[in-house]
Amino acid sequence: MTAVPLTPVRRWILRTQSAHRERGATAGNIYFTVLFIAVVGGMLHKQLAVVFWPTHPNASRLAAASLVPILFGLLYLALRRFGPLALSRPAAAWLLPAPVSRRALLLPSLRLTAIVAAIIGALAGIAIVGHGAPRTLDGSEVALLASGAGLVGIALLLVALAAQAGGRWGDRLDAVVSLLLAAGLAGLVADATGNHPVAATGWPSAGTLVPLVGAVALVVALLFALAVRGLARTPNERILEAAKTAGTLFDSAFGMEPSFLTDMIERRYWAHRKLRSVRLPDRLPVLVGQDLLLVARRRRRLLWLLLAAALPVLLTEAPHWLIGLAILVGALLSASTAGGNVKTDAGNPVLLRLLGLTSRDAILQRMWVPGALAALWSALALGLLSALDDLPPGPWWALGLVLSPVGAVAAVRRARVGFVRNELLPLDTPMGTVSTGPLVNALVGPDALLLGIPALVAIAQHNELSWLTVLVQATVGVLGARAYVAGTTATDRVELHATR
Amino acid sequence: MDHPAVEATGLHVSYGSTPVLVDVSLTVPAGSGVCVTGENGIGKSTLLRCVSSLQQPDDGEILVFGGTPGATPEFWRAVVTTVEPPTWYPGLTVREHAELVCRAHGQDPSDAGIDEALERFGLAGHADAIPPSLSSGQKQRLTLAVALLRPSSLLILDEPEQRLDPEGRAEVAALLVQYVADGGSLLMASHDEAFAEASGAEVTTMESLSAVAP
Repeated sequence: MTAVPLTPVRRWILRTQSAHRERGATAGNIYFTVLFIAVVGGMLHKQLAVVFWPTHPNASRLAAASLVPILFGLLYLALRRFGPLALSRPAAAWLLPAPVSRRALLLPSLRLTAIVAAIIGALAGIAIVGHGAPRTLDGSEVALLASGAGLVGIALLLVALAAQAGGRWGDRLDAVVSLLLAAGLAGLVADATGNHPVAATGWPSAGTLVPLVGAVALVVALLFALAVRGLARTPNERILEAAKTAGTLFDSAFGMEPSFLTDMIERRYWAHRKLRSVRLPDRLPVLVGQDLLLVARRRRRLLWLLLAAALPVLLTEAPHWLIGLAILVGALLSASTAGGNVKTDAGNPVLLRLLGLTSRDAILQRMWVPGALAALWSALALGLLSALDDLPPGPWWALGLVLSPVGAVAAVRRARVGFVRNELLPLDTPMGTVSTGPLVNALVGPDALLLGIPALVAIAQHNELSWLTVLVQATVGVLGARAYVAGTTATDRVELHATR
Repeated sequence: MDHPAVEATGLHVSYGSTPVLVDVSLTVPAGSGVCVTGENGIGKSTLLRCVSSLQQPDDGEILVFGGTPGATPEFWRAVVTTVEPPTWYPGLTVREHAELVCRAHGQDPSDAGIDEALERFGLAGHADAIPPSLSSGQKQRLTLAVALLRPSSLLILDEPEQRLDPEGRAEVAALLVQYVADGGSLLMASHDEAFAEASGAEVTTMESLSAVAP
């Protein structure tokens, strides 16, 4: 097969596109990006220092070792989620089916992704060194460690690339990496609960690092060359899928509409699942049974929720109100696991009309499972904190259980929010114009967590918990949920939104 | 209850400056079927949307079983419409969607004949699939199957023959005959004269419903 040379095609596209652009638009974009990074970096340099390079190393050996699978595991999973090899949507539509060299078409995308992976890997490496290594380390040693981490980033990209082209083993590897990530988180939690000394010793010298990093560089370079050779073998459908992801990502960013992306991930998840029809549970109200089925089919997410109940332990050194906030947000997130059906109904009421239930019945039934999830998660998280003596004595698990209506209202309210209203008036601030639509949209749902203020105050005060506080939280939660249901649903209306 | 199923008088609808319905009147007697035919863009779907209360006419009156159509649960327990396509629930299979609707109407799912209905609409092999993975014709058939499974008094169907193969059309027409024979009322729009005849509905054209000749 004769391949049409790609370079002239690309050059022609670029020329034609730039003919429609203003003169100097590209230079302007680069200028603004650099300026933005400089300004934000200048504003946040103290916070960045805390994250990447604290004044003294502050991690124990366990914590530093746990950070490795967490940071690099996240990088790998993100690479897998987004491709890693993607094309822009126009290129996927017009150039992929054209008789051009596949390798030449995909190489720029691979190059760009490799640079991004190397930078993220190096940053992760610097952060781990910054927290775990003694300040006696040379600049050259830090540079070697960072470049080694950058090379690991590229190596992960190459593995993800092979997984994108390959078969089922990619999914299995994802599961293994997820397990490693979970193990890393467990390590951090264990580090926070025990009394592990900060141990900034045992780092290799430059003499041992040079041959090591050199060998890694050689291996990565070899693998990269092999990957470029095999680039043409990446199946079309995988590239198309990744191109769709990239396109949706840009749509989400430009339209400031995160639901484009989350909906796509959700659709893709179910498209890959093989399901078997079951009978809906007989004894439960019909929509409760449906929510239960949905949650039961997301077992892996339930497992993550279970593990995440240990994460507030990481905040024991932080101000107490932050633990309270983490508990409330966790209740919202765990309740949202069952939010997919409300979201469908809020977006398009056709199935609700077919079901013929009142909006009040529908929402009441839809709050059961989120409420149960929020109650179990908060009780587990608070019970764990209390068992580890990070909280004063008291029935903290009960306080977690009565957060049930708070989580349910917040999750259902969040699921009903719909699209961002970009027609809302923008706010002019000294820092520039802020569009209020996405802000308002992001707050709908989490705002209902205000119903959890009694619990937040109890955790923040760090005093012994009385049953009276539990009772107050239960009452506020139930009254708030009643008010929410009464105010946003009706017995004479099927649709969730009051129409016209 | 001797109100007609649908009684619409003097309907006016226009999109911008384009009039779509001009003084349209329509009656569907209870327990009978009416099929509106006519070319594209003549306002069949608009008429059906108005009767389903999904769109407000600019002028005119609509009564469904003697009452004003609206978003009430009573209305949607009596009326089923396929004028708008549904968004399917996540992680719920074809069969479970059908069962969900039956259960919501208090039907025993084992007696409701779900499997027979899926078989009849050629979906038995796809019972474990999720609806978004079906072809557009299969989705249309699933919507029809679910609409016919649940109890109702009035069916409002917009071109139910669309995207169905010839056997499918004959099957659906036979089911509609049965639906009307069992006491239901039917209002549908169709392009296919033969299908309209086969469904036993009284065929009428959009032109004949309008008091003003276009």
